[in-house]
Amino acid sequence: MDEISADSFNIRDYLRLELFPHFLCPGCGHGIALRALLWAIHELGIDKNDLAIVSGIGCSGRTGAYIDANTFHVTHGRPLAFATGLALARPDLEVVVITGDGDCLAIGGNHLIHACRRNLNLTCMMLNNEVYGMTGGQASPTTSATRYTTTTQSGSIEPVFDACALAAAAGAGFVGREVTIQTPALKNLLRDAIAHKGFSFVEVLSDCTEIFGRKNDLGESPEMIMTQKSTMRPASYGVVGGNIVDEPFRATNLKTGILTRTDRPEYGAAYRAHAAGIRAARKS
Amino acid sequence: MENFEIRFGGSGGQGLQLSARLLADALIREGRKVARSQSYEPTSRGGLSRADLVVAAKRIDYPLITALDVLVLLDQLPVAVSMPLLRPGALVIADARRAGEIPEGDHDLHLLPLSESALALGNERATNIVALGVLAGLGEVCEHDTLETVIRDGVPPRFLDLNLRAFAKGVELGEAGGPGR
Amino acid sequence: MPSQSTARDLQGNQACALGAVAAGCRFYAGYPITPSSEIAETMSVEMPRAGGVFVQMEDEIASLGAVLGASMGGAKAMTATSGPGFSLKQEHIGYGAGAEIPCVIVNVMRGGPSTGLPTRPSQGDIMQSRWGTHGDHSVIVLAPASVPEIFSETIRAFALSERLRLPVIVLYDEVIGHLVETVEIPAPGTVEVADRKWATGAAESFQPYAVTDDLVPPMARPGDGYRTHTTGLTHLESGFPTQEPECVERITRRISGKLVHHRELIESYEAAGCEDAEIVVCAIGISARAARRAVNAARAQGIKAGLFRPITLWPFPESAFKSATASARTIIVAELNAGQLVLEIERLCGGARQVESIARVDGEPIEPAEIEAKIRELSSHG
Repeated sequence: MDEISADSFNIRDYLRLELFPHFLCPGCGHGIALRALLWAIHELGIDKNDLAIVSGIGCSGRTGAYIDANTFHVTHGRPLAFATGLALARPDLEVVVITGDGDCLAIGGNHLIHACRRNLNLTCMMLNNEVYGMTGGQASPTTSATRYTTTTQSGSIEPVFDACALAAAAGAGFVGREVTIQTPALKNLLRDAIAHKGFSFVEVLSDCTEIFGRKNDLGESPEMIMTQKSTMRPASYGVVGGNIVDEPFRATNLKTGILTRTDRPEYGAAYRAHAAGIRAARKS
Repeated sequence: MENFEIRFGGSGGQGLQLSARLLADALIREGRKVARSQSYEPTSRGGLSRADLVVAAKRIDYPLITALDVLVLLDQLPVAVSMPLLRPGALVIADARRAGEIPEGDHDLHLLPLSESALALGNERATNIVALGVLAGLGEVCEHDTLETVIRDGVPPRFLDLNLRAFAKGVELGEAGGPGR
Repeated sequence: MPSQSTARDLQGNQACALGAVAAGCRFYAGYPITPSSEIAETMSVEMPRAGGVFVQMEDEIASLGAVLGASMGGAKAMTATSGPGFSLKQEHIGYGAGAEIPCVIVNVMRGGPSTGLPTRPSQGDIMQSRWGTHGDHSVIVLAPASVPEIFSETIRAFALSERLRLPVIVLYDEVIGHLVETVEIPAPGTVEVADRKWATGAAESFQPYAVTDDLVPPMARPGDGYRTHTTGLTHLESGFPTQEPECVERITRRISGKLVHHRELIESYEAAGCEDAEIVVCAIGISARAARRAVNAARAQGIKAGLFRPITLWPFPESAFKSATASARTIIVAELNAGQLVLEIERLCGGARQVESIARVDGEPIEPAEIEAKIRELSSHG
């Protein structure tokens, strides 16, 4: 089973160890997502010299710096815009965006829907911890109803985004979701996302113990992660677009697995073919 | 005229920008420096439209018009805003049908059947080229042959015949001088 | 392909696009906005022909984001906009300045504030172009005043941006942007294409923001094995963030120091008739064209008038201005705003000269007669 055969994968080969200890709080799920991402990159055999990580602002954005690759820590909400330019100018690079629920769905929401629409070959890993952690715990577009944050001190009353439904509706070629505790499954999902030619959107349900969990009495990290695991554990398997999808126990929880996979034309290749046609027509 | 300022005024869609571009091309071929500007309104069709040229033998300092030597009017719309810009004794060429009401003043007015001539040739949209022909016929602004060459080079082939006939008609009107007053 | 230069009648905005192509620009990202859209339209034709990329982005912010991303990948890249869009791009201009990413931003000025006068000229972004983004930062602003100069200054914008690793803004008003004049286009391949300094040598010891003699560190190209980190956070020579006061000051001073160290390379200006001038008119863009005619007319009347025109608007060519105005008693600053450039001129004159302002804000260009009248008025009062 390749889910547990991590024999040749040594995460240290992919990290800038000189930057450790890292800045993430104890119990934060982002480190697990980072591990799954690097594991997927290892399995795909991507040379880290050819790997470009573009990340935004927030706890999610800061994780990029720990990766021993070409890393670009850009402005709040705009990593997809930077990545679009980078991937169009340098189709030889493997471009992966690391973003968060605030970075990607609030300030960067317009860039997300247009990246989905264009379907340029990029992978976007959105770490969803339901909160703005770095700025001290304000509500985000994915903060669940009734949750306490520093800007919803009587409990949130705003509806949340289903990021995967949004990405799929906007045309992303590949859409998936996973929890951090299912690390091998997350690794496989990211591997398939990166291998997909087109825009791939992966939502990782992470946990923010320190800023969000404590305020909402969700326990320490193990409790938070186990709750995620138990509520996300499949009650049954469903099939979406030929892919097996985990149906959660509760109707209020989210499906995990590959939710969308289409063969829509990849924008970069389409652009290059179109431009080559223009040049050929001028020569003749 | 070596250094002069000219305006083509009318309503949007009358081909004023094309006339100005063709005249500018011809003047540049004759070795003059030309700066071309246009009114830039949010709408593309209808409404006041103008195309201005500042022409000089050498370097153009200020590229916008300040005192017109020549004013070509294809519609009544630009008349009011353009008349105060005329230099004393300026040449004014106006379409008798669509710009018939030109105030009196110290200018050399040629009220000519520009659009009527174009209509007679089968297409009112050639009025702008009739006007260019008039300029060539009057012989003060640009050489006839240069203008005819740029028209041959610069208009789509399927309209070339119409435009050459419109140009010839304009030359004829210009040479006759029209009812100057 | 023509082996000699060809004369072409071009609109200012077209000349800008063709200048960019000649300078080696191979990536353009933009968003439609009056009165700069012709630049995007021309680039949408030119980029695929030249083997480059044109992409119309979802907004102004994304346009400069994509340009910075492409430039990080090694492409010479440009975007263009006007007032409202320029305001939106300010955060990314700061990113380009701080992370030292070459890029060219064109701002075709229209009336403001806010939506303002979309189709009318203005020179209201003189200060915003220099100080629009937050924090201390280094940018260069070039202010062409004719269509041929838009072509040549756009080429120079790329050269400076690549050479000094900073954002360069090409700033001109709507009149110059939509004016058609004749431009001598050099034969293909004859324009010297400036390239940035790329990292060479051992990757292990490479410091992406090392302090070099010219204060411009070589840049690592992704894929070349350097695997560097780029961030908008204040960073060390290693590229990684720092908040150590000593390091923060060192980095901030080096980045600002680029403008001082390379002053001669950056500065460009025109001084006409200033040697014996009693009155010098200072202006950019269409206002400088009006000033030129006014100064010529005043000279014809025996008034000792001159024109000082900064082509590099920022950093302002201070010493050139001071020598050009050495004999002047009065400086007239003509501009299409309520008085911005005049503040810089007052600062430079330090009370030693009379500084007069012609500040027009009605959406119309300043006419030569307005300036000529002012020259006569100030001359007769002398």
